[in-house]
Amino acid sequence: MKRRNFLKNAALGTTAISMPFLLPGGRLFAATGSAMADHVVFVAFAGGVRQQESVLQRYLLDSQDYPSEGNIMYNLLNGNAPDEKIVYGTDGTVEGDTPIPKILSQSLESQGTIFKEMISSHAGHYGGLNTLLTGNYQYTQGLNSKSQMPTIFEYARRHLGVPASKVWYIGNGIGNSIPLLDYSIHPDYGSQYGANFLAPTITFGADGFKHLKNAKVYHPEEELDPMYKMKYFLDNIWYSQGKAIPNIGNTDEEKYEIKEFFKEMFEKTEQGIIAHPPVNGGELNSIGYACEVMKRFKPKITVVYLSSVDSCHNNFTSYLQNLHRADHGVGHLWDFIQNQIPEMSGNTAIILAPEQGRNLESNNIADANGFKGYDHSDANTRRVFGMMAGPGIQSNESRGSEGNPQGDLLHITPTIAEILGFKQEVLNTGLVANNQSLFDLI
Amino acid sequence: MHIFNLKFMNKKIVLLLIIVISISSCKKDDPIYDINQIQSHSYNANKNKLKSASQYISILYANLFQKALSPNELVEITRCIESVGDKELVHEVIISNFMNKEGVTIPSDSLMREDLNLFIEDTYKRFFVRDITEAEREYFLNFFASHPNVSSEMVYTAFSLSNEYQFY
Repeated sequence: MKRRNFLKNAALGTTAISMPFLLPGGRLFAATGSAMADHVVFVAFAGGVRQQESVLQRYLLDSQDYPSEGNIMYNLLNGNAPDEKIVYGTDGTVEGDTPIPKILSQSLESQGTIFKEMISSHAGHYGGLNTLLTGNYQYTQGLNSKSQMPTIFEYARRHLGVPASKVWYIGNGIGNSIPLLDYSIHPDYGSQYGANFLAPTITFGADGFKHLKNAKVYHPEEELDPMYKMKYFLDNIWYSQGKAIPNIGNTDEEKYEIKEFFKEMFEKTEQGIIAHPPVNGGELNSIGYACEVMKRFKPKITVVYLSSVDSCHNNFTSYLQNLHRADHGVGHLWDFIQNQIPEMSGNTAIILAPEQGRNLESNNIADANGFKGYDHSDANTRRVFGMMAGPGIQSNESRGSEGNPQGDLLHITPTIAEILGFKQEVLNTGLVANNQSLFDLI
Repeated sequence: MHIFNLKFMNKKIVLLLIIVISISSCKKDDPIYDINQIQSHSYNANKNKLKSASQYISILYANLFQKALSPNELVEITRCIESVGDKELVHEVIISNFMNKEGVTIPSDSLMREDLNLFIEDTYKRFFVRDITEAEREYFLNFFASHPNVSSEMVYTAFSLSNEYQFY
């Protein structure tokens, strides 16, 4: 392959990434339903969130019996911030005393529809995340094993014909089996329909700098092309006698684009110009890299997983701080889409939901402020909220209330499919546990 | 007495001779059909287990550097692999990083071109731990002939990325 051809193919690949997909027959590969938005960003929010400190805005009142209430997630929710015993912010005179300034002029609750009381039937992070991404409660799903039911990534790639580089799953790390949810082991789906998983704080962190950054830049025509030819020959021989290897199906052009992206990220990280939120570090850096992924690839689906609030087991103060930071991160993400990615601005929908709640009763583990911690095992863990905003989504709409749940985490997968216009295709598979999306509840 | 012993010894020698001759005369030669021994099972059949990320990387490192990877680096590189969903892509990036490091043990291109037959035979043994088949030899010799700029590094990279190398 000549260099010119390779670059042409790479350019075509990039164009294909940013254009509607065409079937060989020339028909626009559109699903039967009409899409409400071209892109969906789903944030699996925070990692086990109590209703009491989030939508109910009770701050320290319910959890610590301290009379201070208020909203510490003001990019997501309407409501005034607490004005007493401030520990959820960044460090000022004392630790956590400085709340992070609000990013969004209008909260996501105002911009869209909130389900204040939803149901989660899982009390574990991985199980809950499985539910969010597959539309099924898989009670036999173990840690360290891939999902048995197809993920929303696989539905989108198979039924919408979306290329691999248009479907991204950004994790805040590689623990808790998070990377395993890029595709399922379902026989009708699987790796060939998987998402591009990335845990950017590792890929572009200290380990990545040491072992990935100094990759040789092979000449596309004179080096890469013969190498791939030899590899394809070896693989063809192997296929005749050996086993298949999971492959998410990035084309050579898409791989080239992703490697270029990696190179750019290392350079930008060194220069300190990644699109991180104003307050960053920790998992908020995953948000910054997610912004960079979206800017480059304009994905059809982007899933961002956050879980730092899980520190609630033994450090309630850290839980509050991470809840506040997660809100800040989502505010930045939405602001970045609207103002820095013209191709996604105005035609992207955002959905948020925690994968589970947390307990009503504390575990009596006290942190440095004397605040008690909370696990996730009692009935309160089943209580979560959810919200969505974007084109075609009713603004200022609120459904459900304490004691009157509406919606279930099972509704998230059909909701994403409905926004992208292929809900019926997903339902026709018979593989989701619920035939309703959140829109059907409104 | 002495005569008796001599006669007895002679009998023993004769008996021994008879035994030796009879054993050697019964020995049958192996049949020779004038064909080469061939391997009747498939070359890859025994490799049916996918290497884990840490197995793959430690074997690859040992293969390229002829020494063991340190435990710390093994953990770091494994984390890098797990942080990227497209394993083929991240393997390629890691291998090209290895190729950029000092100490990687690869035959020089001139040595490779000196005896391509031997080079490719050795490469199959080094990476796949098996003999090359005649079809594979034919392909590579033709490929090298039609691609005079292919280097030993490129061949090693292709083998490192191949699916057969992912299995054991």
